[in-house]
Amino acid sequence: MHPSLKPLGDRIIAYLAERWSLPVALATLEQIPGGASRETYRVRVSVAGETRGLIVRRDPKTSLIDTERALEYQTYEAVHGAGYPVPEPLFLEEDPRFLERPFSVMAEIPGCETQVAGVRADATEDRRERLGANMWMLLGELAALDIDALGVTRFMPVPQHAAARELEYWARVIETDAQHPQPVAMATIRWLREHLPPPSKRLALVHGDYRTGNFLFTPDDCVIRGVLDWEMAHIGDPLEDLAWSLDPLWCWPERERAGGLVSREAAIRFWEQASGFTVDRAAFRWWQVFASLKALAIWISSTEDFLNGETKEPILAMAGWIMTDRQNRILVDRLHPASAHVYTEPLA
Amino acid sequence: MIPKPAQALADLALKLATGIAPETASAYAQANTGMISALLLALAQDSERAAANRLDDIADMKHLFSDAARLFPSAAGADARAAFCADAPAGYRISELDAFHARGMVALIDLHAWSERHAPPLAQRIWDFLRAHTERNRFDVAAP
Repeated sequence: MHPSLKPLGDRIIAYLAERWSLPVALATLEQIPGGASRETYRVRVSVAGETRGLIVRRDPKTSLIDTERALEYQTYEAVHGAGYPVPEPLFLEEDPRFLERPFSVMAEIPGCETQVAGVRADATEDRRERLGANMWMLLGELAALDIDALGVTRFMPVPQHAAARELEYWARVIETDAQHPQPVAMATIRWLREHLPPPSKRLALVHGDYRTGNFLFTPDDCVIRGVLDWEMAHIGDPLEDLAWSLDPLWCWPERERAGGLVSREAAIRFWEQASGFTVDRAAFRWWQVFASLKALAIWISSTEDFLNGETKEPILAMAGWIMTDRQNRILVDRLHPASAHVYTEPLA
Repeated sequence: MIPKPAQALADLALKLATGIAPETASAYAQANTGMISALLLALAQDSERAAANRLDDIADMKHLFSDAARLFPSAAGADARAAFCADAPAGYRISELDAFHARGMVALIDLHAWSERHAPPLAQRIWDFLRAHTERNRFDVAAP
């Protein structure tokens, strides 16, 4: 453990001891990279003679995504209760006297990885295929869950028109946070408003950031053990998650394999098989364009955070420069009337 | 002074990625040094081209606006575009080029919206410009 983390470790075990009413000893504490929306720490503690692995996620001073932590935590509780693979949520603490900022505690899922680079680089198709099938079938299973039975309608708004609501929300983010004129984003917003699909026939729990890197899997069998990062979860159209997961950014610079794992069409087939739904290609086209705009909005917002916020995390600068560049190219490639489709597949 | 800032930044990025990152103890520090290294490479690329790219964009926009003025003199926003065409950046600092470039981009957004409804071939030319603009500003960096 890095010495600079010792004071935080002491405060975490003091909190856990109070919550469990048991003596707790700190074994290890390390900060996990890539936590863009929360500071994330892996903690091992000894309690009542056993070692427990925990994940502590603390609000940063500024974040890539402005999110509602209570809603995220309740979502974890709902999907965990339904048997969907997520880390078990243990505590949500909003009182700043413990760790200065609100945080949550989850059980660690041991033996897993989040980075799919090793699988992507695999010489055989087999592991890529297995992980890809698991990834999109699991997303299909999420789409098939009944939102009332899941209980998420108790704490999430149910939209009348999911596409319109999402579009206007992210258009506002761009309008508010843009640090300079955004001609590609503006043209995309006009296109999306012009081509708005009819209200969704069926609403689902939308993860909001379902992609490679946001799940834990065991590398030997390529089975996903936990879906992470539900901070953008909401009730909406299940095609939103499918389109987001297939955005070219997540397999950059590859084009052919979604998430670097399987072909886009194979991913859609897995999703259809598990959800029981058939993808409406016209609506899906809209959600594909929307996914690229939403991503651009997040990068624009990150730029604003990096420039004006207190946290100078490199990931915010990365989003502001490199991700913004790629997403702009993706959108031009999607919407140019005579696109050569260098980065994207022709829309259905 | 080092007369080749792009090369110097790229060398520093390489040092950070290959000489310093492996010496860091935590995965968190390694991930961040990797990202900062990639960002230095991006800055190296941009430091060399930034002024030229802004000036190329400005020249392209002026060309588009002049054509629009000739073909569609009554199109909304004509005065702002004419003023932009008649003006020039206050200087060659990147901040001065950016300020003038932003003025052009605001006018371009308005013209694009108008042309989508009234002049589709002009709208396509604006998409051509946006493609050229995004490609000339692309970062050829493998982000970690």
